[in-house]
Amino acid sequence: MSISRREFLKVSAAATAASTIGVNFLPGMQSKVFADGINWHKSVCRFCGVGCGVMIGEKNGKVVAVKGDAKNTINKGHLCVKGFYLNKIVYAKSRLLHPMIKKNGKFERVSWDEALDFVANKFNAIRKQYGPDALAFYGSGQAETEETYIANKLFKGAIGTNNMEGNPRLCMASAVGGYLTSFGKDEPAGTYADIEKAELFLLIGSNTAEAHPILFERIMRHKAKNPSVKIIIIDPRKTPTDQVADLHLFPKPGWDLAILHAMARILIKEGYADEEFIKKHVNFRDNKKKLTYEEYKQFVEQYTPEKAAQISGVEADKIVKAARMFGQAKTAMSMWTMGLNQRTRGVWANNLVTNLHLLTGKIGVPGSDSFSLTGQPNACGGVREGGGLCHLLPAHRLVKNPKHRAEVAKVWGVPVKNIQPKPGKHTIAMFEALNKGEIKGIYIMCTNPAQSLPNASKYWKGLKEQFVVVAESFFPTATTEYADVVLPAAFWSEKEGVYGCTERRSQYMEQVIKPQGEARWDAFILRDLAIKMGFKKYFEKYKTAEDIWSEYISLTKGTDMDLSGAPYSRLKKLRGITWPVPSVDHPGTYKRYTKGDPIFDALPAEKKKGRRMYFYGKPDGKAIVWARPPKGPEEPTDAEYPLALSTGRVLEHWHTMTMTGTVPELVRAVPVAYVEINPQDAKKMGIENKDQVIVETRRGKLKIEARVIDRPEPGTIFIPWHWEKWMANILTIDAFDPGSKEPEYKVCAARIRKA
Amino acid sequence: MKKIMVILTMLVAAGLLINFSAPKNQQKTVKHPAVDFSQSCVECHTEVTPDIVKEWKGSKHGEMNFGCYMCHGDGQVEFYPKPGTQRCISCHPEYAFDASKTKASNCFDCHQGHTLKFHKIDR
Repeated sequence: MSISRREFLKVSAAATAASTIGVNFLPGMQSKVFADGINWHKSVCRFCGVGCGVMIGEKNGKVVAVKGDAKNTINKGHLCVKGFYLNKIVYAKSRLLHPMIKKNGKFERVSWDEALDFVANKFNAIRKQYGPDALAFYGSGQAETEETYIANKLFKGAIGTNNMEGNPRLCMASAVGGYLTSFGKDEPAGTYADIEKAELFLLIGSNTAEAHPILFERIMRHKAKNPSVKIIIIDPRKTPTDQVADLHLFPKPGWDLAILHAMARILIKEGYADEEFIKKHVNFRDNKKKLTYEEYKQFVEQYTPEKAAQISGVEADKIVKAARMFGQAKTAMSMWTMGLNQRTRGVWANNLVTNLHLLTGKIGVPGSDSFSLTGQPNACGGVREGGGLCHLLPAHRLVKNPKHRAEVAKVWGVPVKNIQPKPGKHTIAMFEALNKGEIKGIYIMCTNPAQSLPNASKYWKGLKEQFVVVAESFFPTATTEYADVVLPAAFWSEKEGVYGCTERRSQYMEQVIKPQGEARWDAFILRDLAIKMGFKKYFEKYKTAEDIWSEYISLTKGTDMDLSGAPYSRLKKLRGITWPVPSVDHPGTYKRYTKGDPIFDALPAEKKKGRRMYFYGKPDGKAIVWARPPKGPEEPTDAEYPLALSTGRVLEHWHTMTMTGTVPELVRAVPVAYVEINPQDAKKMGIENKDQVIVETRRGKLKIEARVIDRPEPGTIFIPWHWEKWMANILTIDAFDPGSKEPEYKVCAARIRKA
Repeated sequence: MKKIMVILTMLVAAGLLINFSAPKNQQKTVKHPAVDFSQSCVECHTEVTPDIVKEWKGSKHGEMNFGCYMCHGDGQVEFYPKPGTQRCISCHPEYAFDASKTKASNCFDCHQGHTLKFHKIDR
């Protein structure tokens, strides 16, 4: 008897198959892959601003599984490593389950009535003695639109203070400033649908692969199918995003503005400018006055590639190459995030990227857009659109505009005099005011400022000294340590509501399970607090989440972000819809300011004559190309602090790790914080991989593990900012953009030594 | 002849051994060796199983930096030496696949575990 090769393989295959039987499911895979009896509910991922659709698997009142929503146009069923573990986070041991009041330095469990009575009495006492501006609210781009809406009404409309902020001030404010000054209206003109139509991507100040993985995957797939697609990266650090790059420009942190001017100069000089588009759609300005096109050309003339190279540290020929690639591509999509926004001239950086699109006409057509990526799931929907900042009111309205105040007061049913005309304190000013004792009571919802503020330790004083209420799903956090009262908030899957993502898409999330412990929905916590504070007549009408959403969308009617065609009844059936959506039969808007945008379509014919775009946020419908002077970082490197420190995200963790820190797999993936240092610098300093080092800035010092790696350029270091134990924000600078008030997290001067 | 029979017996025995070594109820009880868990999976496995890490790095999962833990668990709380399809389908629900029409009972019957190549070959 002999055994043939074929028989050998057969035996081996049988053995292999046998080894898997029992481990997995058997025929009928699709129906049996998850256990029987699971009910699937449509929802949205709780993490970044991409807005991926997720399906929540519920069985017997428990969340038992999560899978990507294959019907969702954004992620088409795919999930990144964080969304994959959402079901585990719901049942984290660190969930806050009961209200607690700090008594004699220790938290004691109390009833909801006792907690809310205590807060209401304290807030009323502060208001009576020191006035409404002694109170403040600090919210979140992770809160639902309905939650932010109720907070906005309570603080601006009932209590009567505009000291109402949210953490999107720390991440998206410069993008808002950029869009407002360039286009006249906030938020992008295009959507994700441009990705598959773009010939070129300019990724600037964005580690897309780690911060927005599903969009990176879409870019990667698009390039794999279309090898002619080009990708330019402008970033001081090599990141996983580099694996798809055709060209990478490495500027010194904070010195990239000159590159964008030099690119603009080359685009014009070498004939890549769309002169017809410019003539019909563009005005030019510098910081003081309107310019002519010729004057703008004179302005950029000084930014030769060589001069830009000198300022930025990028080779001149790479700048030329980048400009030509941008010019030669028929369509181009720019994407950026915190690398541009978290800068003392973040608004200008945003403007200068948009300039490239306006000069070449690469805007308003499929595959072309200047597209800001958002960091949180509802920074756009809840805070930018919902008006959750100190100068805003719902639906892109402004507190300083008397008409806007009157419109909002009418819908809120509050006296218009309650809404102050003067903006309140922006985030950094708010926490300064806590330090000074000017603000004596603050309500913090769904965010962790004791860790996430720049120069964080400076602001612990105010948190320690003033009356602090924290509504949170997790306990403890760096911020709850300073709280006088903690209120357990319902988490994702335990509440219904709407998230609005980066591409202007509003998506409904169903409540799937009851909240853990005694946790309650933030909007109703605030409603009941309002009632206890004496504002019953303004708040008792809100019985359901739909009541709040319906009132909110009535305020959007007729605005640039019209959502009146997106009631719950419609959103429940859809995988979201992109505004403006003025009626229930409107399909949503792919491109703003052009044909298909209902606002553009409704413009009188004479306004649109001969034009393919009309930027209706500007008086003459023309967008602005800005001649902004280049500015470096607030704290450049020097002999004392010779390294530029940057901070950012890793794929596996998110913000202050209150969620990802509860998932063993994600903790295992990146167990400890580290500082990345270039091998050249490490060698000079005698630092070896895994050495403990001290990173020091003018604000603090941190003992941390060194990772010697060629990701940062020589002269720069990088720390992922997620860990409370290795808190990068005790190092970062709290200088902020004078326009957007967004702090310069992305660069400060540092030094490093072996511990 | 005797030699061939011994080889054949060994092969079958090996198959049975594999079968019994990884039944469903034992999947979670199989323990990852106690190692320095302050290291990430990839850090350690780059040294101990460099070929597997190389395969993974060249795969779609590697490009996306979706690490070992996605399929195999964290190694301490959960550990799946031979991960099942359920973990795949959470991120890939778009693959409508009726196993009754094939002999496959698991994604990894057709996809190599680390390169993820279809039919386990380089296409």
